[in-house]
Amino acid sequence: MDVDADAELMLRVAGGDRRAFASLFDRHQRGVAQFAFRFVGDRGRAEELTQDIFVKLYRNASRYRPSAKFKTFLYRVAANHCLNEVRRGEYRVKHVSEGPEEGEPLETPAPEADRPDMHLAGRQLEAAVGSALACLSERERTAFTLCRFEGMAYLEIAEVLQASESAVKSLIHRATLAVARKIEAFQAGADEPLRSRA
Amino acid sequence: MSCKLEEELTAYVDGELNQAEAKTVRAHLTECADCRSTEALLRRTLQTLAALPAFEPSLGLRRTVLGRLDAVRTPFGERFRGWLRPGVLLPSTVGLLAAGVVALFVAGPASQKNLPAELQDGAALDVAMNYDVVSNYEVLGLESPDDIEVVARLDELEGRP
Repeated sequence: MDVDADAELMLRVAGGDRRAFASLFDRHQRGVAQFAFRFVGDRGRAEELTQDIFVKLYRNASRYRPSAKFKTFLYRVAANHCLNEVRRGEYRVKHVSEGPEEGEPLETPAPEADRPDMHLAGRQLEAAVGSALACLSERERTAFTLCRFEGMAYLEIAEVLQASESAVKSLIHRATLAVARKIEAFQAGADEPLRSRA
Repeated sequence: MSCKLEEELTAYVDGELNQAEAKTVRAHLTECADCRSTEALLRRTLQTLAALPAFEPSLGLRRTVLGRLDAVRTPFGERFRGWLRPGVLLPSTVGLLAAGVVALFVAGPASQKNLPAELQDGAALDVAMNYDVVSNYEVLGLESPDDIEVVARLDELEGRP
């Protein structure tokens, strides 16, 4: 299904077609949930935000115009909602990676996560990335998340943020470099005990 | 880092530069050790990020979201705009006028004498019956169609039941 098919579904949603909405939800829920999770750093809150974003999408379906790419429209709704919620103070950016609590969804494990030491390293890495994201400005975090986790091109991100492409280039550069340095520092610290044991 | 091309490195690694820009950065990298080091750091970081586990929402999320759609009300602004469509507005206006004319014939002006003076004016009666809403419009003003929705939901926004 391509982008135009998404737009067609959205027009049907505007006419009250719930099946079309369910199709859109199935196609985009993971991306939106991932975006929200990287934005607030908390699994439960990311799910609540994802719910709100899709309900908002349904409620505002009649305002959608096919001239805007559906994905851009969706992530504009998602980014604005996450920003507003964080600004209202309801969702403080957490990004402290603890293990999943009982009843919380499990993450998809990476192949190397079968080894307990790699699992722990993965969680620590997740924490390092999370704390780096928490230090970014809201716009940097939005641009970085859309680029690195949703695979969006700079031009699409510019449309979501309603900014120029060169502004997005700067946001992504600063954010990526900040995260890179945090990961590097984390990896340098994590390697030391291994070397001392050798 | 003070290198003027450093800002281009992330876009270069992301493949977001045009051919000419990419060529310039490539040439620069052969002679700038700092930028080579930053480029390597950026590439390592992208590999690391790609290996992070994806966040998987719970299986109940779909059911919860679809369940919440029942509670979604069409915003007042949209309902209001719907009422203003000619297909709705014209017949209802004609119907109201006809009902008014019939009422005047049946009741006649004499029946108004029984009402208190402040309610003998039909417009005043309308305002009195919708005083809550009217007072909200007066407080907020009406500058755009969105304001209609705000007024309609004022109680909700103010946390009143």
